[in-house]
Formats: sequence, C-alpha cells, structure tokens
Amino acid sequence: MSVRISLDGVDKAFTSRRTGERQQIFRDFSLTLAPDELVAVVGGSGTGKTTLMHLIAGLERPDAGTVSTGGGRPRLGMVFQQPRLLDWTSVETNVRLAATAAGVDPAEVAPILDAVGLTDYARSYPSVLSGGQRQRVAVARAFVVRPEVLLLDEPFSALDELTARRLRLLLQQLWLRTPRTGLLVTHNALEAAFLADRVVVLGGRPAEVVGEYRIDRPRPRSPEDPDLFDVHRRIVAALT
Amino acid sequence: MTVTHPAGVEEVVLGGGRSPAPPGRPPATGVVARLTRPLPALLLVGLLAAGWQLMAHTSGSALIPGLGAVARNLADITTSGALAENVRVTLTRVVLGFAAAFVVSVAAGIAMGRSEWLRRFLEPAVLIGLATPGLVKALLCVIWFGVSLLNPVLTVALAAAPALTINVAQGVRSVDPALSEMAHVYRFDALTRLRYVWLPAIVPDLFTGARLGIAMAWKVIVLVEIFGLADGVGYQLNLEFSQHNVAGVLAWTVAFALVMAAIEYGLLQTLERRAVRWRRVALR
Ligand SMILES: Nc1ncnc2c1ncn2[C@@H]1O[C@H](COP(=O)(O)OP(=O)(O)OP(=O)(O)O)[C@@H](O)[C@H]1O
Ligand SMILES: [Mg+2]
Repeated sequence: MSVRISLDGVDKAFTSRRTGERQQIFRDFSLTLAPDELVAVVGGSGTGKTTLMHLIAGLERPDAGTVSTGGGRPRLGMVFQQPRLLDWTSVETNVRLAATAAGVDPAEVAPILDAVGLTDYARSYPSVLSGGQRQRVAVARAFVVRPEVLLLDEPFSALDELTARRLRLLLQQLWLRTPRTGLLVTHNALEAAFLADRVVVLGGRPAEVVGEYRIDRPRPRSPEDPDLFDVHRRIVAALT
Repeated sequence: MTVTHPAGVEEVVLGGGRSPAPPGRPPATGVVARLTRPLPALLLVGLLAAGWQLMAHTSGSALIPGLGAVARNLADITTSGALAENVRVTLTRVVLGFAAAFVVSVAAGIAMGRSEWLRRFLEPAVLIGLATPGLVKALLCVIWFGVSLLNPVLTVALAAAPALTINVAQGVRSVDPALSEMAHVYRFDALTRLRYVWLPAIVPDLFTGARLGIAMAWKVIVLVEIFGLADGVGYQLNLEFSQHNVAGVLAWTVAFALVMAAIEYGLLQTLERRAVRWRRVALR
C-alpha cells in the first residue's frame, strides 16, 4: 500500500524548560510526500527536522493544522537520531521484536543483520557495540518491518564512510525492490542528492522551505554521477 | 524517597570472573574470589561469638548463657523437629503475605509511576503505611482478624507493600521515554512492553524494594506470632521468654537469622545477578 503523507497548515511550538521561552518551530507549515516518494530534508541544526519527523510518526501533535498519513496508521520503520535500543537484550532480539510486532517472519532477521554487517554480533548485547554498530542495529530494525513509511533521522551520520556508503546502496536497493514513502533527514547534501526523489531545504525560525530540488535521475544511481554533484552544489548554496 | 542500592548491586557490576578488576585492586580469579568473598562476614561472626562467650564467662549470670547452652538448645529444637515445623509455618506466612504485597505493589507502583494524579492520590496511603510502626500493624491485625491465616498474611502484606510500592513507582519513572516512543512506533504489544521495556528498567528498584519489604515482613511476622498465634518462630520465642530460658530465645533467634541470610544470599542475590547480567557484560 502506498501512503501519501501531508502536513497542512501545521503550527508547532515548544516552551523551553530552562528559560520558559516559547519557540515557534513551525507556523502554517505545509509539506506533502507523494506515495512512494523519498524526500530528503536538509537544514541547519535546531531548525525542526527531527520535530517534523516526530509529527509524522505521531510522537508529537501539531498545535494547529493537520498531519495525515493516508487515513490509517501505516507501518513505520524509523531510525531515531539516537539508536534507542533495548540494552538488556541481544542485537538479534532487538530486531526480532520489531519484526514480530509487525507480523514479519522472524526468519527475515538474519539476512537483514547480514546486510548491515552485524551477523557476528547477533547474540551480543548492544552495549558492547560501537556507536556506528548500534546505529546499524537501528537501521536493521527499521528495514526488517517491511515499512510502508520509512523515517530516517541522520541514519548514517555516525558511520564510517565505507559502511555509510554500503548502507546508502542498501537503502537504494530497498527502493528499487519496493518503493515506499520515506523521509530522510541528513546533513550530507550529497547523500540527499544520491538517494532522494526530492530534496527540501529547511531554514529559519519558524522553519520554512527555503529551497526545493527535484532529482529526476532513474535508479539505480551511482554515487559518482556528475549530475548529482551539480544538485549538491545548489543545495549547499541554498543552505548558506 | 531515594534508596541507594545495597552492596549486592555493586558486587554484581564490578565483581565476577570476566569483568576487569577496577584499578588499584588485584584481579580476582573466579574460584578463589568465590571462596574468599564471605571471609570478612565470617570473621565478624567469629569475633562477635568470641566476645559473647567472654562476656558470658566473666559475668557468670544466668541471663547471659554461654555459646554451649545456646548450641544445646539449637540442637534440641532441631532434633525434636520443632525448628523445621515452626520455620515452615512462619515462612509460609511470609511468602503468602509477600506475594500478595508484590502483586498489589507492582500494580500500584506502575500506576503511580505513570500517572501524576494517581501518584498524588496514593502517596499519602503509602507514606502512612511506611510511617506506621510494625507493632501497630501487628496489633490491629490481631484484633481484627484473630487467629485465622488471614491475620499474619495481611500483616506481612501491609508491612512489605509501602516500601515495594514506592520503589516500583520510582523504577517506572526511570523508564526511558525514548524507549517508550520506540515501542510505540514499532507497535509493541502490552506484554512485549512489560517484558522488554518496563521490567528491565524497574528491576534494580524492584530488588531494593523487595529487600526492604522482606526486612519489614520478618519484623512484623514475629510480632503477630507473639501476640496472636499459637505456632511459628515468634510464638516459640515468646514461649522461651515466658520460661525465662534466655538460651532458648537466642537459639531461635540464631536459627531465624540463618534462614534470613539463606534467603538473602541464596535467593535474592542469585535472582538479581541473573536479572542484571547484561550490565556486567557491558563493562567488558
Ligand atoms: N520536546 C521538546 N521540548 C522543548 N524544546 C524542544 C523539544 N523538541 C525540540 N525542541 C526544540 O525545537 C527546536 C528544533 O528541534 P529539532 O530536534 O527538531 O531540530 P533538528 O532540526 O532536528 O536539529 P539537529 O540537526 O541538531 O538534529 C530546537 O530548538 C529544540 O530545542
Ligand atoms: Mg534532529
């Protein structure tokens, strides 16, 4: 099932617990993700990218306006900015619990762990893993549930370049096999250009879309595609 | 209320064969460490016994019987079967009462940890429960419930529940909201949440509460048995007391202390070690 996600006239404010000051993160903000579209969001720190993702996941409610995920509650795969693993149970169980809850055959856990290069750690506690390895467990957990909507908050930023590259290709593979609606938050403009159908640049407070680039390159794409560098240059220009 | 974790927790985290020894301490090897660990405790017991014997010897008073007299009494109640029977009776009461307290406290503690309103609603009851002396609880239960099994079980439950509840509530408040959000996003069912998100987070506080609760339970069960019942360790203590047999009182006390120690070291610490195994691995 393909899911259309739309935010319509969304207001969202936080009251800082320290200063008591009210920060208006979004005012009358609208954004639509077409069915099966992968949208990358880039923007400075503190603009509201994670907040946007939490609004879509239903973890935050808008003060005004609506967030719709195609009527129902689609199956979510989500990589949070921190891995959010259950430290007291094995890597394998962390992934399997999500699979089982989503009605996915637990036999699919092993291949996913293999894909993120963690087969040797399947029976380890997450706390013995490095930061990048923990993030890979979170990626495996998000992919294993056969998500209808994939929300990725800087999923590859804690990884070494080689692993990040492998996982970007894995993500592309996923879209080639079964496209789905996705939001990818990243600080890496080149990564955004390589993976996304559209790149949205967020900026300002309240946050607005300050740049938008459609990337009409067919998949599979190559990370070395010179056209992507061109888009990359324009995204960076919009950011500065 | 903050309750620091008893030494057992640290021991689990730092001790054990495979984790590295903290700096400044020689590395303990498995078997030797296991055998030498109880030595300080045994040394203390030995010193106390020696001191007691010295006191008994120098005073010559019948009120301070020597170790020999206590040991003879202990042997008597052991061979007559009185010890086993009365410990069984008392333990049954404690176990039933503690089980009741556990069920109620975990439910109440989770409720208090999740809802601010329920916390405000239940907190006074818990604080009153904590502040009420065990003697008062025992007396009231004897008056109201007499000699039925309900009396000791209820007293033990009343004694153990407040400390358990407060600690469970504290444990629930320490559940990481980030993990609750993760469980929500991945649609974990209630059972999975309880087993994998909640329980592991509240386990340390649960054990602290269980320790305090059991300590309270021992104290009141003896009182109830003294005041209102015709068997059990407390009743026997009272019996020896009324016959002015100090050695008998001491024999029952020693036997009871040994049973308590067996439960603390044999049961609680073993369970706790299993429950927090993942922390030890984390330090490797
Ligand atoms: N629960 C909250 N309570 C109070 N303030 C919050 C909360 N969540 C976010 N904020 C504030 O909202 C603003 C946007 O936060 P958000 O996490 O969405 O930024 P971001 O774009 O993801 O930043 P980064 O790139 O650093 O992850 C920040 O100023 C942050 O302090
Ligand atoms: Mg963020």
